[in-house]
Amino acid sequence: MSRNISRLIGVKNISFLMVLSMVGLLLIAGCGGSPETAPAPQTPLAQAEGTGAEDVPRDPVVIRLEGGDWGYCSPFTHYSRGPGIFKMQLIFDSLLERSEDGYVPWLAESWEISDDGKTYLFNLQQGVKWHDGKEMTADDVVFSINYYREYPPVSIFFGGILTDPDYLLEVTAVSDYQVRFVTSEAKATFLPAAGLARIIPRHIWENVDNPHDYLEPEAVIGCGPYRLTDYNKEHGTYRFESFEDYWGIQPRVDVIEFVPVSDTILAFENGEIDLTEIPTDLLSRFQEDPEFAVKVNPGFWGYRLLFNYERIEVFSNKALRQALAYAIDRQDLADKIARGAGTPGNPGILPVHHVWCNPDVPQYAYDLERAKQMLQQEDLTDLSLTLLVGQDREVRIGELLSEQLAKVDIQLRVESVDLQSRDSRIRDGQYELALVGHGGWGGDPDYLRSRFLSELSDWYTGTPGYYNPQVDELGQRQLSETDVNKRKELIFQLQQVLAEDVPEIPLYNTTGYTVYRPDKYDGWMYMFDHHNLTHSKLSFLDWK
Amino acid sequence: MFLLKISKIWQELTAFGRVGLVILLLLIFMAVAAPYITWQPHNISSGPSLKPPGGAHLLGTDELGVDLWSQICYGARVSLIVGLGTALLAGLGGAIVGTFAGYRGGWTERVLMRLIDIMIVMPDLPVMVILAAFFGSSLRNIIIVLALFSWSHPARIVRAQVLALKEQGYIKMARIYGGGDLYIIFKHLLPELIPILAVSMIRLAGMAIVTEAGLSFLGLGDPTSRSWGLIINHALNFSGIYFTPFWKWWLFYPWLFLTLLITALALLGRDLERIADPRVAKG
Repeated sequence: MSRNISRLIGVKNISFLMVLSMVGLLLIAGCGGSPETAPAPQTPLAQAEGTGAEDVPRDPVVIRLEGGDWGYCSPFTHYSRGPGIFKMQLIFDSLLERSEDGYVPWLAESWEISDDGKTYLFNLQQGVKWHDGKEMTADDVVFSINYYREYPPVSIFFGGILTDPDYLLEVTAVSDYQVRFVTSEAKATFLPAAGLARIIPRHIWENVDNPHDYLEPEAVIGCGPYRLTDYNKEHGTYRFESFEDYWGIQPRVDVIEFVPVSDTILAFENGEIDLTEIPTDLLSRFQEDPEFAVKVNPGFWGYRLLFNYERIEVFSNKALRQALAYAIDRQDLADKIARGAGTPGNPGILPVHHVWCNPDVPQYAYDLERAKQMLQQEDLTDLSLTLLVGQDREVRIGELLSEQLAKVDIQLRVESVDLQSRDSRIRDGQYELALVGHGGWGGDPDYLRSRFLSELSDWYTGTPGYYNPQVDELGQRQLSETDVNKRKELIFQLQQVLAEDVPEIPLYNTTGYTVYRPDKYDGWMYMFDHHNLTHSKLSFLDWK
Repeated sequence: MFLLKISKIWQELTAFGRVGLVILLLLIFMAVAAPYITWQPHNISSGPSLKPPGGAHLLGTDELGVDLWSQICYGARVSLIVGLGTALLAGLGGAIVGTFAGYRGGWTERVLMRLIDIMIVMPDLPVMVILAAFFGSSLRNIIIVLALFSWSHPARIVRAQVLALKEQGYIKMARIYGGGDLYIIFKHLLPELIPILAVSMIRLAGMAIVTEAGLSFLGLGDPTSRSWGLIINHALNFSGIYFTPFWKWWLFYPWLFLTLLITALALLGRDLERIADPRVAKG
């Protein structure tokens, strides 16, 4: 019996054992340590092998962050999640970069878009060096795009319009420092899609025909500010050193190391890592101490409630959807589930921290009376619905929603399955109501179109059965509008229409807190559409 | 008659056994009388989040503001149902298999014994995790899965006992006088088997309760059942709970009650085993 429980619990959380042992009456003995009395930290990698401290004359800045294996850092072999993507991006530069405010010129120092919005001419920086000393030219840019068409990289933005031969008709090097892209129609998402594609060296990759298995040291030669000097898949450690011949803004951080840690908060307190995310209840621990600085992450990760229009007929009744929006206390969800580290979902879909969020859309403030009234008017009493959720926190959200909706006499049964089953059931449309949480809410607002356009009837990315001609029209117009201000105006209108129509209910966006020691390093910044400080390349550079 | 028997058992119990019995009875009372001894709803929030014990909330509240004392009282039902259900199912199944094997002998016995050997060497937890994930998480499925993995122990004990009894003179005599198999099993074997089976079932109950809590804690239990294991699961999923004071009630109390129940079953089981052990009884 005791063997069972120690095995059971040991799997999940060693510290739980410590609590058991502290209380006495014990089934298990001698495992782990409580957060306060943890064993001495592991020697950080750098101390073990000696840092670059001796090689660099000035005092080098060495930043250590939480490790973990996220794949080898070539555009074809990293893992397709944030930590894998941004490590690769430290090595490989792109035509544009993402700052706190928007896209900024990077390898492309300027660009021109033709009046019809179909042709783009990028003027490249001169004197850009690859890590092996060769010069980067327009040839490499053209090669990269063509290579991606044959071998798609792990992460590609905006649904692969860059690799679609029917859309991107032609990429040519006009001179050594000019590249022209010709497309079949004007699309607002083309500039970021082309701008964020990583440029790879032609002289290395032209001889490679198995990029997804290509793990040579040459695979991580880019023209970005950092070189990969050590990678250990088993330990999940990485070491990046700044590239001395970097063409652009100089790195402020000389060495970035990713070290294995078991508990990030503990490791941060012990100084093993220099930055960590913390839950709300630990805020007071760090907030008052001047040694630490706390940043509030923008809410670009969130949960939303999906309606299955094809399965449940009454969902096509707008009044019901609006009544649900009134009956769900989104602030309560953010307060209880996210412990206040969240912003209530915005009926206009784009979260409040999105650079293009329209603040004037109807808000559906929590109003039970109004919800009841609307339901009665529509003769929709005694509704009984099933909500599909994943596990853990999502079950809690489901329980809270069911409690809230019971107040307007809607029976909500919570059905919990594991995350993979949840995703595959959403993909097959096997649900009535579903809860889904994901990131990317800060990205290009074109997702308002792809999510609610009536023609796109994919269960995973779209909303089958939902039809609103205004949404369709505005969605298409904003996509072909290449004038930023006009497009923003259209996106604002689109949010207004969506908020009025409630095609789905965004529940809340998690914000969360990041804490670091400003004395050690204070250059941290977000990207305008992303919630993680360490994922921004500019965080490590001397960007002002 | 029944009362007499109870008081006889009570006298034979050690002090530990008596404590175990009292605790067990109290916990059963808690489960049965849950609606009368709680004053807050157990499934919806009734106060602020994570309120420390005291005032209207005897044991505080969890992060949704649901009263913990109510959750623990109603959760006792889940734990006891799982314990009782598994013990009955596995105990009965094991008894049938064991009696059959021991009484029939021959190749039937050999096949059944090898099956039991396989069940015993099979690593139960990993397979249970897979089965629980495969069958989906409902209370009924959990009980079935647990019973599937625990019938072999009572089956072995029962078989050994049947083998010994079969050679007893009075049973041989009964057969010579023409007593049928069923007659002998029900009339002569069963009364001898019941005490030892009961002990084995108490052990099974303890095991089942811990395993259910474990499965819930791993996220494989019925997520809406609100068993003790699930309360622990929710508490542990709360990030940084050990850096906060919340574990002092949210995690501690469900753990305490779980431990009390298991300890009570273990103490009682130990005493009953001593009482029921045929060598002690006959000696």
